[in-house]
Amino acid sequence: MNQRWFARLRYFLRTAWSGLRESPVTGSVSVLTIALCLLLVGSFALLVANMERILDRFGEEFRVSAYLEDDLAEADLAMLRERVAAAPGVDRVDLVTKEAALERFRASHIGRAALLEGLEENPLPASLELVLAPEHRNAAALERLVGAVGGLPGIAEFGYGADWVSGYHGAVTLVRGVAMVIGAVLVLATLLIVTNTIRLAVYARRDEVSILRLVGGSRTFIAIPYLLEGAVQGLLGGLLGLALLVTLFHLALPVFSGSLELLLGYVSPSFLELRACAGLVSVGAGLGVLGSAAALGQGRLGG
Amino acid sequence: MKHLGVEPAHAGAGAMVRLFHVSKSYLAGSWALRDVSLELGKGEFVFLTGPSGAGKTTLMRMIFADERPSEGQIIVLGRNVSRLSPSAVPALRRRIGVVFQDFKLLPRRTVEENVGLALDVVGTPPRERRARVFAMLKRVGLQHRRYHHPLSLSGGEQQRLAIARALVNDPEVLLADEPTGNLDPDLTLEIMDLIADAAARGTAVFVATHDHGLIERYGRRVVRLEAGELAEDTPIRRPML
Repeated sequence: MNQRWFARLRYFLRTAWSGLRESPVTGSVSVLTIALCLLLVGSFALLVANMERILDRFGEEFRVSAYLEDDLAEADLAMLRERVAAAPGVDRVDLVTKEAALERFRASHIGRAALLEGLEENPLPASLELVLAPEHRNAAALERLVGAVGGLPGIAEFGYGADWVSGYHGAVTLVRGVAMVIGAVLVLATLLIVTNTIRLAVYARRDEVSILRLVGGSRTFIAIPYLLEGAVQGLLGGLLGLALLVTLFHLALPVFSGSLELLLGYVSPSFLELRACAGLVSVGAGLGVLGSAAALGQGRLGG
Repeated sequence: MKHLGVEPAHAGAGAMVRLFHVSKSYLAGSWALRDVSLELGKGEFVFLTGPSGAGKTTLMRMIFADERPSEGQIIVLGRNVSRLSPSAVPALRRRIGVVFQDFKLLPRRTVEENVGLALDVVGTPPRERRARVFAMLKRVGLQHRRYHHPLSLSGGEQQRLAIARALVNDPEVLLADEPTGNLDPDLTLEIMDLIADAAARGTAVFVATHDHGLIERYGRRVVRLEAGELAEDTPIRRPML
């Protein structure tokens, strides 16, 4: 029995290989179509992945500053610090004294010492810096935190980029949604093109299909080599699309590095993770198999 | 019923093909076959004859389940073709060898691959496949052409190739539509001997032919169709030469 399965497998592989060699034009069209589709889908995935990465990095560095009233007593400060540390979502609380705040200001404004000239005393307030747990680094959690500790005596005001966080989160969600819709449309369009391309190949070999039926070939026996051909074409298309994406990414990076640095700050754009790359190639193989299956379904293979 | 009362040569040996009052109509009121009943036993060799359009090809196509009868029943190798589900057709066809009038060879496959197709379908292991294909090609005198493509062969060679493909799987039923039409007399006899040899090994053989010389020479059972009806069913007259 195993020998028979091995023989059939051998036949399927041999026939699929013959099919690929005999239809180089239709095969190349399928491979290129899948490659271009995946290049576009991959570009969107790359954009979304980098936007999410920026948000993650931002979250890691994100602090909420609770600015303190100037005349806060030591004992009150200690109690306040304890109560703030106990608030939901707070991972750690650091005290930034007035002197430390001034030092930071100086360090971040080198060459602009004139800004501080003429001041008789340090105008910067002391503050408590709240480091948030990762799952609380979003706009809604921030609102909840401010609601919980905002009214505590000794806190003058809060400083955090809630609007920025919320806006950026919305932008990522929007880009991800648009990318998914465009990706789905591209995948469907590619499926249609690949289906029609493979249908041409099936049509060109209709005599062969008919003869296979006459000598007792079942529907599955006839279909498997075509599905294998589709899988190989899809795999090649996926690999080609990925190679194009890598090439374009590395060609475009130096050209836009200045603008990106300005836009993203210290976050440098990076390529898709290995798992996402494998997923992209798998989508290509899947497109090839689905295209073949659809083409065979539209043709008449008989019983 | 148009069975003319002739008992098949191998009656009792188990009928491989049975037709009961079979009719086939493609257009209302016009019959390609009408009320044909006959039996073909194991190892029996039958010439199917009649003028063009008499229904020979239609009858053969119904036996290998390429057509269904409009009326009547066809039992082939114990399966009722009239009621056979589409998924069961391939299994039946693997037990039947067919030589088509137009050969139906795959032009992009080599001679060896064309013959091996019937073995590929049943999953014959590679070593056995190679041996059987080579032996079959040797029997039809095409072993030296095994890596050629059908279009580079002469008409006679293509016909022998078609016969090799039909016989390589040792089918239980062989249907041959004008299998010697393009062959010279010497090759005709060689091919007919091959077919007769298959019958001697138990294959039920139907050979459609216009060649009266061949029919006379072999003296086997003759079924003659005229305008879709069974006009004659004469028994075996003498043993195969």
